[in-house]
Amino acid sequence: MIGTLLGLFGEASTLHLALETTLIGAVVYLYFTRKENKDTRVKLTEKQKDELIAEWVPEPLVPETPQDHPVLNPRYVEGKMTKYAKYDGKEYLNMATSNFLGFVGEKRIEDVAKKTIFKYGVGSCGPRGFYGTVDVHLDLEKELADFFGCEEAVLYSYGFATIASAIPAYAKRGDIVFADKGVNFAIQKGLQASRARVEWFEHNDMDDLERLLKLQEERDKKDPKKAAKVRRFMVVEGLYANTGSICPLPKLMEFKWKYKVRIFIDESFSFGVLGKTGRGGFALSFSPATYPCFEITANLLTIKSGTRFTN
Amino acid sequence: MSKKARAICIDDFMARQLAERTDILECAWHKRQEEGGEEEDEDHQKPIVDQAQLDAEADAEDARMRARRVKTFSTSDGWATRERAPNEFEHISRWRALTVYLTWVVLIMFAYVREFLRNWGIETSHIKVELDKQKQFTPLFDDFAAVYQRNCYVRVRDVFERPIGSVPGATVNLLDRYTDDGGWTFKMKGTQSSVINVGSYNYLGFAQNEGPCADTSAAIINQEGLANCSTVHENGRSHSQARLETLVAEFLGVEDSICFSMGFATNSMNAPCLVDKHSLIISDQYNHASLILGCRLSGASTKVFKHNDMKSLEKLLRDAIAYGNPKTYRPYRKILIIVEGIYSMEGSISNLPGIIELKKKYGAYLYLDEAHSIGAMGRSGRGCVEYWDCDPKDVDILMGTFTKSFGAAGGYIAGSKRVIDHLRVASPTGYYSGPMAPPIAEQIFTSMSIIMGRDGTNDGQKRVERLARNSRYFRLRLKQMGYIVYGSDDSPVVPVLIYYPTVCGFYGRQMLARGIGVVVVSFPATDMTEARVRICVSAAHTKEQLDTVLDAMREVGKESWCSSFSRHKHLYENLAIEW
Repeated sequence: MIGTLLGLFGEASTLHLALETTLIGAVVYLYFTRKENKDTRVKLTEKQKDELIAEWVPEPLVPETPQDHPVLNPRYVEGKMTKYAKYDGKEYLNMATSNFLGFVGEKRIEDVAKKTIFKYGVGSCGPRGFYGTVDVHLDLEKELADFFGCEEAVLYSYGFATIASAIPAYAKRGDIVFADKGVNFAIQKGLQASRARVEWFEHNDMDDLERLLKLQEERDKKDPKKAAKVRRFMVVEGLYANTGSICPLPKLMEFKWKYKVRIFIDESFSFGVLGKTGRGGFALSFSPATYPCFEITANLLTIKSGTRFTN
Repeated sequence: MSKKARAICIDDFMARQLAERTDILECAWHKRQEEGGEEEDEDHQKPIVDQAQLDAEADAEDARMRARRVKTFSTSDGWATRERAPNEFEHISRWRALTVYLTWVVLIMFAYVREFLRNWGIETSHIKVELDKQKQFTPLFDDFAAVYQRNCYVRVRDVFERPIGSVPGATVNLLDRYTDDGGWTFKMKGTQSSVINVGSYNYLGFAQNEGPCADTSAAIINQEGLANCSTVHENGRSHSQARLETLVAEFLGVEDSICFSMGFATNSMNAPCLVDKHSLIISDQYNHASLILGCRLSGASTKVFKHNDMKSLEKLLRDAIAYGNPKTYRPYRKILIIVEGIYSMEGSISNLPGIIELKKKYGAYLYLDEAHSIGAMGRSGRGCVEYWDCDPKDVDILMGTFTKSFGAAGGYIAGSKRVIDHLRVASPTGYYSGPMAPPIAEQIFTSMSIIMGRDGTNDGQKRVERLARNSRYFRLRLKQMGYIVYGSDDSPVVPVLIYYPTVCGFYGRQMLARGIGVVVVSFPATDMTEARVRICVSAAHTKEQLDTVLDAMREVGKESWCSSFSRHKHLYENLAIEW
């Protein structure tokens, strides 16, 4: 057998042999040269470390909070906060809560809620993937999708977490997101968690947005190969929580088709409020699903009948 | 040598000798009290147990363990003389790990072959595609994760996300569904089948749709409604949440607590309030995603220590304090150690006394996430702190969730009044999200009162005891069958290793055919070579139900060869395990 092997060596061309030898040489070289430790810091002995450790004084974990802070001395409302709110026995007109459609205290909803407790219990004892998906979740998702005229919907149990986890699911490192400066905290956290590059444009200022989009287009022209891999998104709100203004959606749709940018709309305050039938006044324009788990980025603050109720 | 210098030398020498014999000085006490304490410390020091050492131990133990009757729980002695079981992480041989990698290679190869076939139209594609007018847009999903999902995950999708139609108690009604197109879409048959539920986190069995908890949570709807429609700071305060916070603080034995409406958000939103970019976070290797997200959002530097390894943790602490922040060349302002009570994928219990000792020695702060252990561990359900007989005031921040043992939703953070006041004012959840819904707060209040025994019965105590018995019984029986089970015998989370990702689908389907709903996990939730079946034992499970599950595991294990992995089966051979 060794004879046949040696024979093969003799038959192979010189180029072939040279190539193989170079490759083996490279492997051997790489295997034996260890990467040098780039740690350029001075090595301390254990005794020196002990001294430094004895000297180190940590800061207190949290600073002192003044005890007269209003949050620490809250006032509790008696009963439900419907049109009127009762504090200390006196009734006040309630202009402070986002109970837009007046569902708080609605008897029909409360009866259904009680029936649900007696059928399903209060918690789902697990995430959606592990026996936490209840048939009512699936029904609600279907109803939401039909209501908005979209293909599918996904439900979240915590309003804050909806947009904060939706954005990092699609926008990753290297992608670009054009966000309005007036977006709410949850969206800001989502953008921070996504590690994408964020271009902020002035609140509701379409000229500023166009300027940024044009700049991006020029950058893309210089490097079209990279541009083909980069995903572009726009994040706006239907009704801004911080300023109360409505976003100019027709103009945004124009930009979407012109600059090929996908839109995220957070309709937490406009759902049920704007438009003739409460659909936010306009169809959502998020690009439809390539996956069954497609979501509507609306956290359901306005429907109070128990979105936070079944986990 | 001067007298003083000689004295110092002797001190040094004595300290070293003591340290060698007891590992961690202040923890020597628990070694004296229990037999098997030495074994436990060693295991906590070296979670990856040396094979040769185990074999030697096994031979020595053989003689002792033969024909020994093991009572999993002794009510006559109560909890005092109960041994704490060490964490076990038996590892398979290298060549078997290689075969697992080979399985993955084959899977990925087939995935790419199918992608190719689909792209060329040879195979019908069920993937959802972009709208025609949006085809010019950059595709949303074209990376490896998407390929894996389309070709590997979808094939076993019927094992995940099973919809239920009843309360997820000891048994649950699963909606029967079938798929025509290989897992892309599911159609409901319209019937439901009842299966034994070993997948839900229902440790104390409070997932009930009747009983005092359900009654009180339905009753509170009349008084306080379903929601407040505003954030916590602006008029979001409810009496039920305030009462709950006081009860939680009392339950845990600390000064104050604050409750949030989502457990995940408790971790991710509050870590930034405690640490900033000048601080250091030292977290365990297997921490949950919510903790990792919180660390990332806080902006602090993060270092990771080996799972439950006190030597690794000590080394990190010493280096961190001595060398300081490598970016700014200044010392860190504070150091926060983040660990969990029970790790949900490993089933192991963290070495709390060791960590507290280190924390005190070096001046760091401790954040303990008891998501799975609150209610489930300890003689009265007060979590890992009680299990280890530690002082809750030693842990700076006790965090936990209500989803698991209390059958509700939400999370809490408990600690000293100063910490909680700061969190109340500074946490973004106060400004931007709503409070807990009153029915949920009432459910937790009632279940916690039952655990504490305040309802006048000893139902809570019985549940905790049943859970302890169930976990030990179940784990010992599994190990007797020959399965490799990770973690400590006291934890109700039972990860059974099946290693091969392809066996996951098989297991899920076979157990369903036998009327048992299990949870299988594979990459990326676990290591690539360590797919597992994670069983969550509950106080609601009766011995008969556990026996049914065990018989089914035995059958499926034989068919899939998974119950022949363990090399320590002989340790349990002649053990007669009583419940």
